[in-house]
Amino acid sequence: MSGQLFTAHHTVLAAGTKVILVFVLTPVLAGLVGAVLPATGWFPPLGGDSISLSPLRNFLLEPGLMTSVSLSIFTALMATTLSYLLAIGLLAVLVGTGGGAFLTRLISPLLSVPHITIAVGFLFLLQPSGWLIRLLSPWATGWDRPPNLNLVPDEAGWMLVTGLVAKEVPFLILMGLSAASQIDARRLLEVGRSLGYGPLTSWYLVVQPQLGRRLFLPVMIVLVFSVSVVDMALVLAPSTPAPLAVRILVWFRDPDLMRQFVAAVGALAQMGLALICCAIWVAASAICARVIRHICWSGWRLTTHPLLARVGRFWLLGLAVLPCALAAAGLTSSLIWAFADIWRFPDGLPSRWGLQAWMMTSDGLLHAALTSLVLGLAAASVSVFAAVFWLEGVSARTRTGQIGAADRLAGSQAEGLIYLPLLIPQAAFLFGLQILLIWLGADGMFLTLLWVHVVFVFPYVMLSLGPSWRRFDRSFTDLAANLGAGPCRRFCAVKLPILLIPVLTAFAVGFAVSQALYLPTVFASNGRIATLTTEAVILASGAGRQTLGAASLLQMALPLAVFLSADLIGLARFRRFSWFRV
Amino acid sequence: MTAQLSFPSFSVLWMLSALKALFAAGLMAFLPFSTMAADKFETFVDQARGQSVYFNAWGGSPAINAYIAWAADQLKVRNDITLIHVKLTDTADAVSRILAEKTAGKTSGGSVDLVWVNGENFASLKRQNLLQDEGWAFSLPSFTYTDSAALPALISDFATPTDGLESPWGRAQLVFGYDTAYVAAPPRSAAALSNWVKQDDNQGRFTFPRPPDFTGTSFLKQIALEVVPDSSIFAAPAPADMDSADAMLEPLWAWLADVSSNLWRAGRHYPVNYTDMVRLLGDGEVAIAMAFNPAEFSNGIAQGILPDTVRSYIHEGGTLANVHFVAIPFNANGPAAKVVANFLLSPEAQLRKANSEIWGDPTVLSMAKLPPEDAAAFASLPRGIATLSDAQLSRSLAEPHPSWVKVIEQGWEKRYAAN
Repeated sequence: MSGQLFTAHHTVLAAGTKVILVFVLTPVLAGLVGAVLPATGWFPPLGGDSISLSPLRNFLLEPGLMTSVSLSIFTALMATTLSYLLAIGLLAVLVGTGGGAFLTRLISPLLSVPHITIAVGFLFLLQPSGWLIRLLSPWATGWDRPPNLNLVPDEAGWMLVTGLVAKEVPFLILMGLSAASQIDARRLLEVGRSLGYGPLTSWYLVVQPQLGRRLFLPVMIVLVFSVSVVDMALVLAPSTPAPLAVRILVWFRDPDLMRQFVAAVGALAQMGLALICCAIWVAASAICARVIRHICWSGWRLTTHPLLARVGRFWLLGLAVLPCALAAAGLTSSLIWAFADIWRFPDGLPSRWGLQAWMMTSDGLLHAALTSLVLGLAAASVSVFAAVFWLEGVSARTRTGQIGAADRLAGSQAEGLIYLPLLIPQAAFLFGLQILLIWLGADGMFLTLLWVHVVFVFPYVMLSLGPSWRRFDRSFTDLAANLGAGPCRRFCAVKLPILLIPVLTAFAVGFAVSQALYLPTVFASNGRIATLTTEAVILASGAGRQTLGAASLLQMALPLAVFLSADLIGLARFRRFSWFRV
Repeated sequence: MTAQLSFPSFSVLWMLSALKALFAAGLMAFLPFSTMAADKFETFVDQARGQSVYFNAWGGSPAINAYIAWAADQLKVRNDITLIHVKLTDTADAVSRILAEKTAGKTSGGSVDLVWVNGENFASLKRQNLLQDEGWAFSLPSFTYTDSAALPALISDFATPTDGLESPWGRAQLVFGYDTAYVAAPPRSAAALSNWVKQDDNQGRFTFPRPPDFTGTSFLKQIALEVVPDSSIFAAPAPADMDSADAMLEPLWAWLADVSSNLWRAGRHYPVNYTDMVRLLGDGEVAIAMAFNPAEFSNGIAQGILPDTVRSYIHEGGTLANVHFVAIPFNANGPAAKVVANFLLSPEAQLRKANSEIWGDPTVLSMAKLPPEDAAAFASLPRGIATLSDAQLSRSLAEPHPSWVKVIEQGWEKRYAAN
């Protein structure tokens, strides 16, 4: 291979990664500046032309602020802790028994459904007039009217926690499965067993610490998402007062424009809240690590009676499956609503089936579905392309040994930066971003919306694709090089086909992420472009349960179709390469 | 249909209505100008061909969305205008978006061409100079069918003069609906309502949308107008000092404190908006609901949301009535929005809107000023079984000054949404 040609190839890749970084980070940083300035009182269009503390003072005077803040912290930490423990527990059961592939197929539908769809399903299923009580009434409960109970939303925020867990357990399992194969968990498990530890004990004491380190980034993403979630909280969280993220949105939307200052302080407070939650998590996991180390040193085997262990495992499985099962039942009730004309309490099923929902608003819904589809496909394509570009750039540099230890560190720091949009609460930078977009005259355009979607989709695609890419066995491309293939040929004819399945999975994940984006869509589209998710949030606050059911159906169908297509393409193509072991 | 807003004979309110009559007289002086403007309007119609109008309007009601979709079809055929309904969860979204555009210096090509507003949102837009200011609404050809002397709220939106910055679209009056299966005699005053709510059988069967939702705040205004001994204070702006303004509403807070633990879900959670509450009425979760549209409950029965045992009523002393409008932001595109506003105010569009099988929103047009055949068409509109007659709806209350909204909303928030 000629050195000159290689350098050109390398330069293109290096410049490419820089462009991607600028592309991803500009909206975040500009948006943050747009929040900091009004928070300090500087916002000339509203007469704020000097730095002052009064926005902060007004923010602190907001009634029920502390309740909102503690509600946000509680739901975020609880949802993240439960999701982590349940995901790790399920992984233990699965990696041991080799059911990983089966489980991935099982959870991918849940992974692909937008948050708002899950939330709406919970509402349809669990509220006092919901499907569950309808099915049990009046024969079992004696109720001929819905009971006056705070079921959804409940007073403490457990419904929001459950909803988040139902969405985040599948995500963490997906991340965990790829991490588990990196650390060769099965071998570690065998070592633990040979030292006399039970399977679950050796999982938690030996594998979990290593897995936890690799899951750190996904867990932080879950934590920050949970603390700043808006669409799900609008439906499932208490409202008197609501969590901080919802209140920020309310302040932004207040007709009294002076509340914009309060909203800006709130956005920064949201950022502080995310930091606090992350700090609590890091401290707690450090303590846990210490305890685990102590247990290991003590030689305590934590053995239990085999029967007890089996019961324990059964419970763990049940607990992990419960939120997902509730979500599945909720989605089923959404499907029934989509084809119900009249469905009165306490009927278990509609008394009149029909297509009312589809007749009345079909135009709007189908249009939104088309927008969601095109947007999702475009965002996923751009993101996958960028991710492949990025990963190739990294692997090219590592391969030639052109970079030293310091450069490598810089490289991994740069890679850390691309996750920034997921690690900063959305509300913190989206309002500022909206102003920037309007100033550029780029608001409400499809390309702008696509850009903002890519900012959020790209990091998830990287999370999904990165591990497989790094695990790629270079002997294949080396062999191709020995046979005289150039860099492009090696990439297109050897590497890409081998990595086709991870690429397709990453594409489907990217599509699902794009489908679920609510706040970014609202702010970047200037309300002009409706997606299924923005439609669903509007419908969730109205009377049109049939239409909402129809929206939910479309929200389930689109990502599922993309996941299935990815699967089928993978299967069809893979037959040709079935002699490769990936 | 006329004289929708009859004022109680408080002296201050009298003066206010005299003031409104003066406004109307000022408008009459405008009228010759508006006929001169007819030619100008024709040029708007020509210029508007091929343009798009982004109409920002609350999108939570399937019936209203369907009506707007019909208007869009008509405008496409007649005027070659593409009307796009931007569905809002809250009108304030559009207000803050227009503000964001002003912040960014976007003085033309704004994202909102037409916005459905009234009351506090209009006051806010007007105060911040975020509206197009040519008094355009008074020069629309359809405006000649209105009679602002008979209905002063057409030019005085919650006591804020419209100055032609917004064009009337429909009338609204607070109406209660109840399920006769559970309520024998509905409570027809704030005092009777509080007694009803506290009865053992009715525990948890009443609620209102969570303020600052429009209907929720309006319900609190209604109660305030009934329980505050001197309701003339509401005609004037609220005192700037929030604490003393809050103290003036003490009877309202006492009324709420009395009932709150007996409300639906013990007052810990509230419906998001009126459609959400109407759904609760349909499920039997609550036995009484309210809406700002006299035909809402007939409409709900027709759509199968409500059982046919639901009927409506208003309070003995009358209920809040107001007018809702469409306004054009300062940076909207082209004249097409005016053509749309004119169409929405036309007898044909108003007739369809007033049909309770479609939307049931009462017209803002004056029967006396309409051609006889149009007036006859309005008279022969079907009234649903749960819609009150015009005579039954004649007792109405004027909206308090918009500055009270903030006092009521913040006072409620502090007491009921902060623990």
